[in-house]
Amino acid sequence: MASNEQPNSVHHHSSLQKKIKLKQERRQHNVSFVMMILLTIVAFAAIASDAISNSVAVLFIIVLAGVQVFFQLYIWMHLGHKGHEFPMWGIASGLLIALITVGTLVGLIW
Amino acid sequence: MSNAHAANKSVLWDWLTTVDHKKIGILYLVSGGFFFLVGGLEAVLIRIQLMNPEMTFLTGNLYNQVLTMHGTTMIFLAAMPIIFGFMNAVVPLQIGARDVAFPFVNSLGFWLFFFGGILLNLSWFLGGAPDAGWTAYAPLSTTSTGHGVDFYVLGLQIAGAGTLMGGINFLVTIINMRAPGMTFMRMPLFTWTAFVTSGLILFAFPALTIGLFLLMFERVFEANFFDANMGGNAIIWEHIFWIFGHPEVYILILPAFGIISEVVATFSRKRLFGYSAMVFATVLIGFLGFMVWAHHMFTVGLGPVANSIFAVATMAIAIPTGVKIFNWVFTMWGGKIRFTTANLFSVGFIPTFVMGGVTGVMLAVAPADYQYHDSYFVVAHFHYVIVGGLILGLFSGLYYWYPRMFGLMLNEALGKWNFWTFFIGFHLTFFPQHFLGLMGMPRRYFTYPEEFGLGSLNFISTIGAVFMTVGTIIFIINVVVTHAKGKKVSGDPWDGRTLEWAIPNPTPHYNFLQTPLVRGLDALWIEKMAGNKKMTPAEPVGDIHMPNNSVLPLFMSIGFFIAGFGFIYYSSAGAPALIAIIVGLGIGLACMFLRSWIDDHGHHLHKEDLLKEDKGVDA
Amino acid sequence: MDVGERLTDQNFPESPEKATLEGKNKFLGFWLFLGGETVLFATLFGTYLGLRNSFGKGPEASEIFQLPMVFAATIILLTSSLTSVYAVLALKENRVKQMRRWFFITLLLGLSFLGLEIYEFVEYVHEGHTFTSGAFGSAFYTLVGFHGGHVLFGCLWITALLVRNSGRGLTLYNAPKYYLFALYWHFVDVVWVFIFTVVYLMGKVG
Repeated sequence: MASNEQPNSVHHHSSLQKKIKLKQERRQHNVSFVMMILLTIVAFAAIASDAISNSVAVLFIIVLAGVQVFFQLYIWMHLGHKGHEFPMWGIASGLLIALITVGTLVGLIW
Repeated sequence: MSNAHAANKSVLWDWLTTVDHKKIGILYLVSGGFFFLVGGLEAVLIRIQLMNPEMTFLTGNLYNQVLTMHGTTMIFLAAMPIIFGFMNAVVPLQIGARDVAFPFVNSLGFWLFFFGGILLNLSWFLGGAPDAGWTAYAPLSTTSTGHGVDFYVLGLQIAGAGTLMGGINFLVTIINMRAPGMTFMRMPLFTWTAFVTSGLILFAFPALTIGLFLLMFERVFEANFFDANMGGNAIIWEHIFWIFGHPEVYILILPAFGIISEVVATFSRKRLFGYSAMVFATVLIGFLGFMVWAHHMFTVGLGPVANSIFAVATMAIAIPTGVKIFNWVFTMWGGKIRFTTANLFSVGFIPTFVMGGVTGVMLAVAPADYQYHDSYFVVAHFHYVIVGGLILGLFSGLYYWYPRMFGLMLNEALGKWNFWTFFIGFHLTFFPQHFLGLMGMPRRYFTYPEEFGLGSLNFISTIGAVFMTVGTIIFIINVVVTHAKGKKVSGDPWDGRTLEWAIPNPTPHYNFLQTPLVRGLDALWIEKMAGNKKMTPAEPVGDIHMPNNSVLPLFMSIGFFIAGFGFIYYSSAGAPALIAIIVGLGIGLACMFLRSWIDDHGHHLHKEDLLKEDKGVDA
Repeated sequence: MDVGERLTDQNFPESPEKATLEGKNKFLGFWLFLGGETVLFATLFGTYLGLRNSFGKGPEASEIFQLPMVFAATIILLTSSLTSVYAVLALKENRVKQMRRWFFITLLLGLSFLGLEIYEFVEYVHEGHTFTSGAFGSAFYTLVGFHGGHVLFGCLWITALLVRNSGRGLTLYNAPKYYLFALYWHFVDVVWVFIFTVVYLMGKVG
């Protein structure tokens, strides 16, 4: 509907700023990729090793999965960026209902 | 695909390909109305069978089918689409938008619902309808013979997908497309309830989607989710169904709350009392609606702790609901009340819904629920909230928005007959059912012996159903009479308060020539009080961008409809069914692909033509 | 300017995916859809967790799961998530060729993930772990299969996008489409994180 909206023309000064920002972002992405690979390896190692008891290991890898989700949502999907307020609400509500659902199907059946 | 091209085609083609929210609203309303009559007929058949002890009018499995289809049809194919009809017809106008966010998806949502509903009802002619109740509890549903339950699964899967799309569409429409100045706390209450309901749809329907998939896999592909012999667990179905099913009842009732709020305020000539409390209550009910599903399962044996938590959460819903009831009463207090038919339905709604709410709190008391469970007391309760709440609200909305949707005023005299017969009939039907339940009559049984002494109350109940039928027939007569010789009305027949009454009649297909500037709650009323004849525009007259019509939603839905048949008959027909599945899904995917492939930039209406057209309307 | 017009470095907006109302609507609608998908997968996960020890006539989870293969699949999908984020960065700089290259690599990784998964399923079926061998089998194939179906759909989606827009630059019309695909792909990866944790790793320890 607003197809005739004019996009802002980019000046040279701000395009330089943008380049710097994107470069920083690229570094963030690389760091989070390495982190996620590490987290994955740690999770597999925790299960493979006999040093950690199974129940602790399960709890531990679920926490690790939670951290990975944070990386994906916030860094790769930019959920923390400006203009993501409603997406944030959507995902948060979805996660809440998801938690309740999983909790129920794990705990309230027999 | 251009507009000029479409104009050459027939009227029918226009309706089949429309992406205009006003037309889609009418499509929803008409199809929902049709299914309402089908579900109503099924209700009458049930009441005839139960009129006297040991009747043989409709027995055994056929009774089960009628009962299952009555519930399923009324919830999914009548109530939901009529609500979507109003949301389509009213929400974009109330927020000052020219269309919804996703016109194409809107059309797709309608056609999916429509073909899902047709698929489900075709079961009547193809070997028998589903017979496991609208809740389709496993293992009753997994072991039900024939293809009835398969029709239930596939019909609802297709219709449900359409509903989910509709929910996302309205969320985005309301968030992104409000006119300048239309802040969230200036939105009319119907838009607010549409917003919260859409949110509930977004998070509740996926659970149903999965539940239906599991049931389908179990019945068609021999999976073992619910079969205890293979390690399955039937309680999983109950949880999944009610995680969807309880929000579903709030999905139904919240828009009715919205309608009542609009109607009561308009016909009291007062601003809605406690607007912000109403908004808060709506959101809170939506939130709590997700936390209480297990009260449908008190007798399953969740244990005292879980039962107590869900009992308390359930009772908590009475608080925001009570806030709403008081606010409606206070809105009327001291107002200049006009008892139009729309307002009669609204005023009738308030005490009726309170009664349904009170029995709801009674049922929330977990120990007492062991007595009420699966008895006619429950039947009475949910008909008080769904018929006495939702249906009265929908009738109110019909009489209120009919001039906006069709440019015609429904006959008020007939409307009053409609109200009184339906209202009296309703209480006559369902009030005695409370006592039948307390006397021990179980729900879903097709008969009862004479010596139980349930005959006279059942007889009264059936008489009430006759009155409700008469009320519905009067409504149909009213529609026919109105369209045969109804007179055209102005754009603002009720002295309205909100933006949908700021437009000429009939509504131009671009809704607003100039997007209005909103200066407060009850945007139109503010301008009226300031002595302005029109809304203040927020922009000069200019070209308007509109979406193109498309036939793809129709074809895509037909594709899934064909695939649905294939899945239904896969377990008995084998190869031919497999072909139907492949062909159907192929059509669906091909349509998606075409949608992605063909660039569709919409078209523009030009300023000069718009101005010419606008003059024509004013003259 | 027209939404179908090729963007130049001069008129390139900061967020081309959200520069039009249609773009904004798609962006928000898709995020909300992902919120709904969260509940959809949660229901599947819940069902799986409820039934994960009901093996019926099939073998036990810890006997059949092959962690090296799962680890490889995880790394493949994780890398594909990184390549799709590189594609989005290129999109934001109007570097069409780079963007398309990264998306193409994403597609290849997605396809190799699918290949690995199909191979895995065939192995399991040979070992007696089938869709109908017990509640665990049904729940496993439904959950992992739903995820695999999402990967497959994503592959079809990006293929269609790349083919359709070959030889075309970025426009305000196709930028949101590319961006939405990237979001979808990340989400599919998020689901996989939970699948390898909850299904495979937890399955290994019982």
